This record gives sequence, C-alpha cells and structure tokens, in this order.
Amino acid sequence: MLRNELAVTLRIMGIRWRGQMAYRASFWMQVVSNFIINTAEVLALFAMFYRFDDLGGWTLAEVAFLHGISMITFSIADTIVVGLNAVPNQIRMGEFDRVLIRPMSSWLQSVVSEVSLRHLGQFSQGLIVFIYAVSNLSIEWSLAKVGVVAMMVIVGFALFSALFTVEAILSFWTVNGVEAVNAFTYGGSTLARFPLHVLERWMRFLFLWMVPVGFVSYYPTLYVLGKEDPLGNPAWFMFLGPLFVLLFCLLIAWGWGQAIRRYRSTGS
Amino acid sequence: MRIYLELARLAFQQQFAYRAAALAGLFTNSIFGALLASVYVGLYSSQADGASVGGFTVAQTVTYVWIGQSLIAPVYLWGWWEIIQSIRTGAVVTDMLRPTNYFTYWLSRDAGRAAAHTLLRLIPTLLVGALLFDLVYPDSPARGLGFIASLPLAVLVSFCFRFMTNLWGFWILDHRGIAGFSMVAIGVLSGHLLPISWYPDPIRDAINLLPFRAIVMTPVEIWLGQVSIAEGLALQVFWSVVMIAAAQALQSVAERKVVVQGG
Repeated sequence: MLRNELAVTLRIMGIRWRGQMAYRASFWMQVVSNFIINTAEVLALFAMFYRFDDLGGWTLAEVAFLHGISMITFSIADTIVVGLNAVPNQIRMGEFDRVLIRPMSSWLQSVVSEVSLRHLGQFSQGLIVFIYAVSNLSIEWSLAKVGVVAMMVIVGFALFSALFTVEAILSFWTVNGVEAVNAFTYGGSTLARFPLHVLERWMRFLFLWMVPVGFVSYYPTLYVLGKEDPLGNPAWFMFLGPLFVLLFCLLIAWGWGQAIRRYRSTGS
Repeated sequence: MRIYLELARLAFQQQFAYRAAALAGLFTNSIFGALLASVYVGLYSSQADGASVGGFTVAQTVTYVWIGQSLIAPVYLWGWWEIIQSIRTGAVVTDMLRPTNYFTYWLSRDAGRAAAHTLLRLIPTLLVGALLFDLVYPDSPARGLGFIASLPLAVLVSFCFRFMTNLWGFWILDHRGIAGFSMVAIGVLSGHLLPISWYPDPIRDAINLLPFRAIVMTPVEIWLGQVSIAEGLALQVFWSVVMIAAAQALQSVAERKVVVQGG
C-alpha cells in the first residue's frame, strides 16, 4: 500500500516536472531569476566581511559553509513540498473535497499538487557557496563528517517540510494571519545561515527547543569544522537534531490528521 | 482632487480589513529584525568599544536594522504587481478609461495603503525593536519630524520605481524575470540589505548616485543624524521629481502599446 502510494507520488511528480519543462524559456527565466534573487544575500555576506574580519569568531568561509548548506536544504524543501502552499486556497474554494475522495494520502496529494523547479536557482547558488566554503577551509574529511553533512541536508529537508506543513494545517482553522509561519520557514532558513551563538538568548531558545533549526545546522557544523561551542554545550548535541526533527515531524503528522478530521467543506 | 483623496481613503480603510495579516507581518519583521540585529552585534563584537564602521556604531547599526524592517511594508519593497495583474486580466482598460490620471489614480491608492501600513506595521515594528534592543533615537524633535517628513517621500520614490517596473507589463506579460531583477536591485540599492557605506568604495559611490537610496538609506540617515535634515529631504525631493517625470514619460509610451487581453 505504502509502496504503491510512493510510486504514484513519484509518477505525479515526474509528470509535473515534465509539465514545467514544456515551457522551456519560461522555465529558464524562472531559474535564472531565482538564482539572481538569492545572489543578493550572498553578496551581502561577502560585503559584510569586506568591512569586518569575523562574525563572533567565525571566518567568512565558515559562515559561507552554513549559508551553502542552508540554501541547498531549503531549496530542496521548497521545490518538493511547495504544493502545500496551495492548501489554504483549496480550502477556501472548497476544492479540498477532491483530495479526500481519492485513495491516497491527503498530505502526499497536497505535496505533489505542484512542483516548483525554479528553486533550482537557489540550489545551484547554495552549491557554489558550499564549494567556495569547503575549498577555503581545511576540513579533515572523514567518513563520519561526510555522513554528518548528508544528515544535515536530509534532516533539514524534513524539518523545513514539516514547517511548510504547519501553515497548511493552521489554514484548516483560519486563513487569517497564517503567514506568520513565514517567520519560521524563511526566518528559520535565514537563521540557519549564521552561527547560533551570536543570537539573543530568547532567539536561541526559540530556534533550538521550539523549532529545532539550530540542532540541524549549527551543532553539526561545529563538528564538521572542528569548532568549540562558545555556549558550552556538549558535542553530542548534534545528535539531538535527527531525534527532535523526528518528534517534530510526528507532531506535525498528528496535527495534519486532526486538521483533516476537522475539515468541513465550504460546500459550494 | 477630491476623487484622489477618496481613492486614498478607500485604500487606507481596505488595509484595516486585514488586521491578522498585519499582525503576521509584524511578527515576521520582528523575528528578522532580532535575527539581523544580533548578527550585526556579533560582527562588531571583535571591534573596539564604540568603533565605527562605515560611519555606523553598533547601536546605530541595530537602529538601522529596525528602521529597515519597519519600512518594508510602507515602502512596499517587494512584490507589488497590481498593474501587471490588471494588464493580464484586462482590467487595465477600465482603469485607463476612468476620468482620472492613470499615474495619479495608482499613486493615490498607494498613498492610502502606505499611510495604513505606517500605523499597522512601521510603528509597531519600531516599538518591538525599541523593547528588545538599545536603539539610538533622533537627538532633537526637529530630527524626529524630519524623519516623519522623509517617509512620504520614500514612499513616493518607491512608488515611481514600482510603477515603472509594472509598466514593463505592457511589453512583456510574464513579470517573473523583471520581478527577480527588481527585487535584488531594490534590496541592494535602497540600502535595505546592508548600509550603503559598507560596500567597497567604488560600488558605494555608484549606489549613492542612484535614486534608490531615498527609499531606505536617507530616512535612516536623517533619524541617526548622519545627514542634515535639509540635505536629506532635499535629496529625496530631487529624486521624487526626477522619478515622477520618468514614470510619466514611460507611461505615455506604454499607453500606445496597450494590447487588451480577453474580452
């Protein structure tokens, strides 16, 4: 059953992917403009380090490492689960009924209702920044470190997908003000680009223990770069990332179930 | 004249229907404000106490961040494509047939919107910033008034820019390419992304010659006392005049290009 659903999901994604590629010129323009939009923030990073030598003890290349991983992770999530953004509108228009009568997970259906390939622009930008960072840092690579980098991308993807789901869940109750979740999705991805220890205490608390962004970006990075945590937390903190993200995803999955149960069609 | 005031009033009231959205925006701007302010404090942490970088002390930079966040909604930095949408739906024809000047019609509506956003977004965001961080305040009531006077001028210059980027819709129907370029341009050139004085000198000098600094940088400089009130406002008035002239010139060319979509 589950394997069947995944096969269908991948099939639909493939169709949407090809659908987007059909308009070749429009596709490339979107990718290029997405690349350009994200250039601004990368330029800002370099301009910052033109006037300053370090950010709370971190060099340009070290901060660029965080930037690269965050951009890669977030762009993958944005590409794959962007369909969830359409849920508020589907509810308003009464179109969500259609999702419920099909024999497939409502969440997966919402996810694949759209694929947005334009985020390939941000992805390639993130890759360039990451390569810049790695080639300017002398990281002693080991299998464990490669594994940790892979974990950062996978777990980060799961976390941001869950965060995108939060906005969809809230829209079953109200469509007013659900944009506040942007503070955690876009805010979280921006926050993941900077070393956590420079933040105010309440911000650190919020983005570690409420929304575990810091656990999937900052702590694993400390390990890969071989840096000490000025906050004095132990090295095993980085393993809290997968654990907390798993708990977070379970919570969101439960929330989605509640939202579906609560759904009353606008019935037009 | 009365009709324009009426248009502005309606746009003003319309914003108050979206109070939850305003709160959500305030929350997002506040999170970003706190995040960026912390990052800048981190940048200054290895500098000597009271050090000034590109003319900004750490407290001035933090203030700059919060003014920048509170200006996002009133000057509508990103994502205003109402005219392009009207071209796509064909509503542009009705808008042009109205017994009003096309430019002034949109400007009045934008002025009403910006006034509402000043109350709903700018003031609350600055208050949050003042609660969370040590900000620098204008050193005299005259400076405070100068800052307030700079706001409508910032909106005006930003409106002309948005109006002109929207008018490209008369030639190209897909605005995403222009949207990408203008987002980057306005973020960097207005000084919203980083204080303009932080860029390498030749880049800084080039940006200072452009009109966009009137949208974010000049209001900040007036608040912080980095420029005299008269000089700051004069620069904004100069660019307002130039941008209005440019917008109307582009409009008169665009009007001859109207292609009506649908029927």
